[in-house]
Amino acid sequence: MKLNTRINGKEYCLEIKPNAMLIDVLRQAGFKGVKFGCGEGSCGACAVMINGRPRNSCITLAGAAEGVEILTVEGLGNPEKPHVLQQAFVDSGSTQCGYCNPGSLIAAKALLDSNPNPTAEDVKDALDGNLCRCTGYVKRIDAVLQAAEASKKTRKSTRGKK
Amino acid sequence: MLKKLTRFYHPKTIEEACLNLGNGELKTAIIAGGTSEVLRQDNSIEALVDISNVKELSYISKDSVFYRIGAGTPVQDIYKTPALTGPSGNLLKAAAGKIGSTLLRNSITAGGNLAAMFPWSDLPVVYMALDAEVVCRKGKPKRTVPVQTIIDKKASQFLSAAEIIAEIAIPMYGKGTGTAFAKLAKTANDYSMITIATRLTTRSGKVDQARIAVNAITAGPVRCIEAEKLLEGQKPTAELIAAAAKKAADSITIRKDFRASREYRKEVFEVMVRRALTEAHEKAGK
Repeated sequence: MKLNTRINGKEYCLEIKPNAMLIDVLRQAGFKGVKFGCGEGSCGACAVMINGRPRNSCITLAGAAEGVEILTVEGLGNPEKPHVLQQAFVDSGSTQCGYCNPGSLIAAKALLDSNPNPTAEDVKDALDGNLCRCTGYVKRIDAVLQAAEASKKTRKSTRGKK
Repeated sequence: MLKKLTRFYHPKTIEEACLNLGNGELKTAIIAGGTSEVLRQDNSIEALVDISNVKELSYISKDSVFYRIGAGTPVQDIYKTPALTGPSGNLLKAAAGKIGSTLLRNSITAGGNLAAMFPWSDLPVVYMALDAEVVCRKGKPKRTVPVQTIIDKKASQFLSAAEIIAEIAIPMYGKGTGTAFAKLAKTANDYSMITIATRLTTRSGKVDQARIAVNAITAGPVRCIEAEKLLEGQKPTAELIAAAAKKAADSITIRKDFRASREYRKEVFEVMVRRALTEAHEKAGK
């Protein structure tokens, strides 16, 4: 079966098994930033943005991604040009083994997209589906708040330049 | 899982979805959020109708009597919307916010909670407590039925071949009504062990309508009718509420698994019902 979908802004036509899960299709297409954790929608390591909503790709059938817009962590940034959230995760020490980070970053991105001025409670609520087994939950709340602050400054300075 | 699946349909309208569903050639089922797909035991399904792109199934609106929620609306939207208020809106939002996690709430839909009903489904009890109605569509023709009908018969038995759940209509209650939602689970993400939705609609200090709908502790969503009867027509004193909670605990068949014994669940359940009724009563007075 053919799957036509947009991943990180680029069109893809992938040959898939009809009962394939989205996570497997994405990883086979080279997006290894999408991590397999629990495989049942509990841990959030596999989170990707589907049409702007963060969802678990491990329990989503790939066939349901026909014609949608997918964002994986690779679409956020890279080591040379990290996204403001990725930089904040590094700066605040929110990354240790790093396995949960791709999913957490996607969930955090979704939060900042809809709410540029989140409170700590908002962050907790938005990341409630992303388990972290090593660094814990405090530092990443700081990270998201830092990133929100940093994006605000960038927005102000670009506005100043205009 | 889905070993015989060969194709997906991606309809854009309800009528198109119904046509796809009743194609008559392939054994077909509906998929919306798809979170229960991994639990589907049926390996004979050959095609899936993905209704997640049907825009006319995703909305939250209201008229003079009802809140109207499209069956394909993600429960995250119910949780976050400022459009739902009052006793009905607050109960819906309280329950929606307690479903799984943000990632799951973005997938799980208002109608999916009825179409694929599990013991841990949180919304059916809310629909029952609020006497919701369900709008089903078979192409253009539609029929509206009480939510209890779908719960009693199961959506898979109730809906005809090319019919889908299109909307949940929830009566808006005004002053004199209080609602409360309560849930017990090991963690926020774990399957619920006890789910309770209550509504007390009072008139001149007496209970006019009482609803106690429960799930998770039972094999499926049920109302504790005897306990409701105990309250109706009476002044809801602390003693009466305690008696109703006891009656509710005695009236249900309790499910168990490795998470907790029947004895434990029963004891906690009675306390939770009592507190939920007390909360609903307090809110009804405001």
